[in-house]
Amino acid sequence: MHVQTPVRLSAAEESLVAQLESAGAKDAAERLRVVGLPTRRVETYHYTDLKTLLSAVPPLAAPANEASAPAIDIPGAYRIVIANGVVQSATTAPAGVIIGKAAGSVLTTRDDVIVRLNAALVGESLNVELAGSVDPVIHIDRRMEGEGAHVQSGAKIHVASGASATIIETISGSDAAHIGNAGSYVSVGDGAEVTHILVDLSARQAVNFATVEYRIAAEVKLKSVVINAGAHLARVNIFADFVGEGAHGDFFGLNVVDTDEHRDITLDVTHGVPNTTSAELYKQIARGRGRAVFQGKINVAMDAQKTDAKMMTQGLMLSDEAEILTKPELEIFADDVVCGHGATCGDLDDTHLFYLMSRGISRQEAETILIRAFLAEITDAVEDEYVSEALSGIVERWLKKDA
Amino acid sequence: MSTPLLEIKNLHVRVEDNEILKGVNLTLNRGEVHAIMGRNGSGKSTLSYVLAGKDDYEVTEGEILFNGEDLLAMEPDERAAAGVFLAFQYPIEIPGVSTMTFLKAAINGQRKARGEAELTTPEFMKAVKDAAGLLEIKQDMLKRPLNVGFSGGEKKRAEILQMALLQPQLCILDETDSGLDIDALKVVSEGVNKLRSADRSMLVITHYQRLLNYIVPDLVHVFSAGRVVETGDKSLALELEAKGYADFDETNAA
Repeated sequence: MHVQTPVRLSAAEESLVAQLESAGAKDAAERLRVVGLPTRRVETYHYTDLKTLLSAVPPLAAPANEASAPAIDIPGAYRIVIANGVVQSATTAPAGVIIGKAAGSVLTTRDDVIVRLNAALVGESLNVELAGSVDPVIHIDRRMEGEGAHVQSGAKIHVASGASATIIETISGSDAAHIGNAGSYVSVGDGAEVTHILVDLSARQAVNFATVEYRIAAEVKLKSVVINAGAHLARVNIFADFVGEGAHGDFFGLNVVDTDEHRDITLDVTHGVPNTTSAELYKQIARGRGRAVFQGKINVAMDAQKTDAKMMTQGLMLSDEAEILTKPELEIFADDVVCGHGATCGDLDDTHLFYLMSRGISRQEAETILIRAFLAEITDAVEDEYVSEALSGIVERWLKKDA
Repeated sequence: MSTPLLEIKNLHVRVEDNEILKGVNLTLNRGEVHAIMGRNGSGKSTLSYVLAGKDDYEVTEGEILFNGEDLLAMEPDERAAAGVFLAFQYPIEIPGVSTMTFLKAAINGQRKARGEAELTTPEFMKAVKDAAGLLEIKQDMLKRPLNVGFSGGEKKRAEILQMALLQPQLCILDETDSGLDIDALKVVSEGVNKLRSADRSMLVITHYQRLLNYIVPDLVHVFSAGRVVETGDKSLALELEAKGYADFDETNAA
C-alpha cells in the first residue's frame, strides 16, 4: 500500500487548512494537509512556487459594504459590486440583463489549488444573464474591503445565443494585505459576440488569485483580455473550452511588474471540436526586480480537425534584475491543423530609440513612447471606447510611476 | 569671416576593430549645399551616423564643430534641437507609434529644449498640413504608424516632411535617392530645394550623379577609403559618372 507522507506545512498552509475545515470542506482540507501548496516541482506552478511565495493568510473575510469609489469608472456602464464576496444590491438592470445570486462557487472542479480554495470557500456567487444586444458595458466590481482578509468571490456570466455584450471585471479594494480568490465562469451561447475583460488592480500589499473559465459554443466570437496590474503576488488561471464549431477566440493579456512584484498568467485553451480558431497575444513588461510569468498551453483534441491557433508572447525587460518567464506549449492530437507559437523577449530596440532621439525627442520620452506602443496592442484590442480608455489609463499610471 | 556651420577636422572613427573614417576634413558654410559621393563602403553613411550621434561609433581622433560648438559632446536629441537633421537611408518602422504623435513629440521636444513654447494642436496641424502639401503627402499616410507599411518612396518623402517641419540648420540626406523612381525623385528633390535657404546648409550623400541634377550642389567631395580625396564644383560629379571611382582611388593611394 502506498502511504503518502504528509509534507511539513508552512504557517500559511496551516491557516488555509484551518479555514477549509471551518468551512466544512473536509476533503479539500485533507488534500492540502497532505500535498501542501504547489512548489516548483509542480509543473503548472513551476515559476510561481506558492509554498515559498505565500507567507501568511489573513482571516476569512467578513461581509462588508463597498467603501470607496470604483477603481475605474466607465461612463455609462452598469455596475454590480461584490464586496468581500457578498453580492451587493444593484440599481435596476438595463434591458437584456438579469441579475441574481446562487449559492457556492461557479468554477468547474479542477486539480488546482486556487480552484479548490474557491470551490470550498465561496459562500454565494453573482449570476448574470445577458440576452440580445446589451447596450451598456457590464462592470463587475469586486472589492476587498476593510482590514486584510481572505476574500473569495464568484460570478457566473451567461450570454444567450445571438447576444452581444462587453463585460469588464475589476478587482480592487482597501490598502491591506488581503488575499483575493476570484472565480469567473463565462458561458457564451451560439453565435454570441462577447468581450470579457478582467483587470486586477488590488493593492500592492495584497495577493490576488483569479480563475476564468470560458465555455465557447458554436459560431461565437469571443475576445478575452486579462490585465495583471495589482497585487505583489498575482496568478490568473484562464481555461477556455471550444465546445461548438465555427467559433473564434482572441485572447489578450498583459502582465506589468515592478520592484519585487510577481505576476503570472497561465492559459489553457482547448479546441475540443472541429473548425474552431484562436489567436493568443500575451505581453509582459518588467522593471525593477519584478518577475512576470506567462504559461500558455493550446490543446487540440483528436477530432478537432481544421483547428487554427496561433499564440504569441512578447516580453519587454526594462531593468537588468527583472525577470520574464515564458512557457508556450502545444499539445495536438488532430492531424489537419494549423498551430503555432512564438516568443520574443528583450530590451527596447536601440535603432528605434536612436531614430526618435535623432528627431529631438529626449531619451526618457522616447522610451515612454516605445513602451506605450508595445502595450497599445493590448489596450487597443477593446472596441468600446470608454473601456479602452480606462485600460490605457492603467498603463499610463504605471508608466508615470517611478520604478 | 563668420564661423562655419559645420567643421569636421581630421575625423577618425572606428566600429569595433575597423577604422572606417581615416581623417575626414570638411567645412560647410551657412547656406551651402555640398554633395558627398563615393562608392559603397567608403564611409559616407558612417559619417552621417556620427554626425547624428548614433552609438557604436568610436571617435578616436579629431573633432566636429557645429556653430563652433563640440557636436560630439551632445546627445542625439540635443543635436536635433541644435539644428542637425539626418534623413535616413533606411527610415525606421516603429509599429504602435502613430506618425502624428511622433511628429508632435519631435517638434515640441525640440522647442522645449530650446526654451520655446510648445505648439498648440491647431498650430501643429497647420504646420503638418503645409509641409505635407509641399511633398504631395496624403493625410491618410500620416494616420498610419510611423513608416509601417510605407513604400520606399513614401518613407523618403516622410523623412523630408520631417525635415520641412523641424526646420533644421543642417540637413544630412543619406542616399535619399535610393529606392526612388524618377517621379518620386522629382517630388522629393523639389521638396528639398524649397527648403534651401541662406541660413540652412545641406550635406547630400549619394553614389549617383542623377540626384545632383535636381539638387544642384555648390561643392562636390569625393570619398574614398574613409577620407575626402577630391573636392570640386558640380562638374566633378559628371566627371565621376564618366570615369567611375577607380581614378580617385589611385589619387588616394598616391
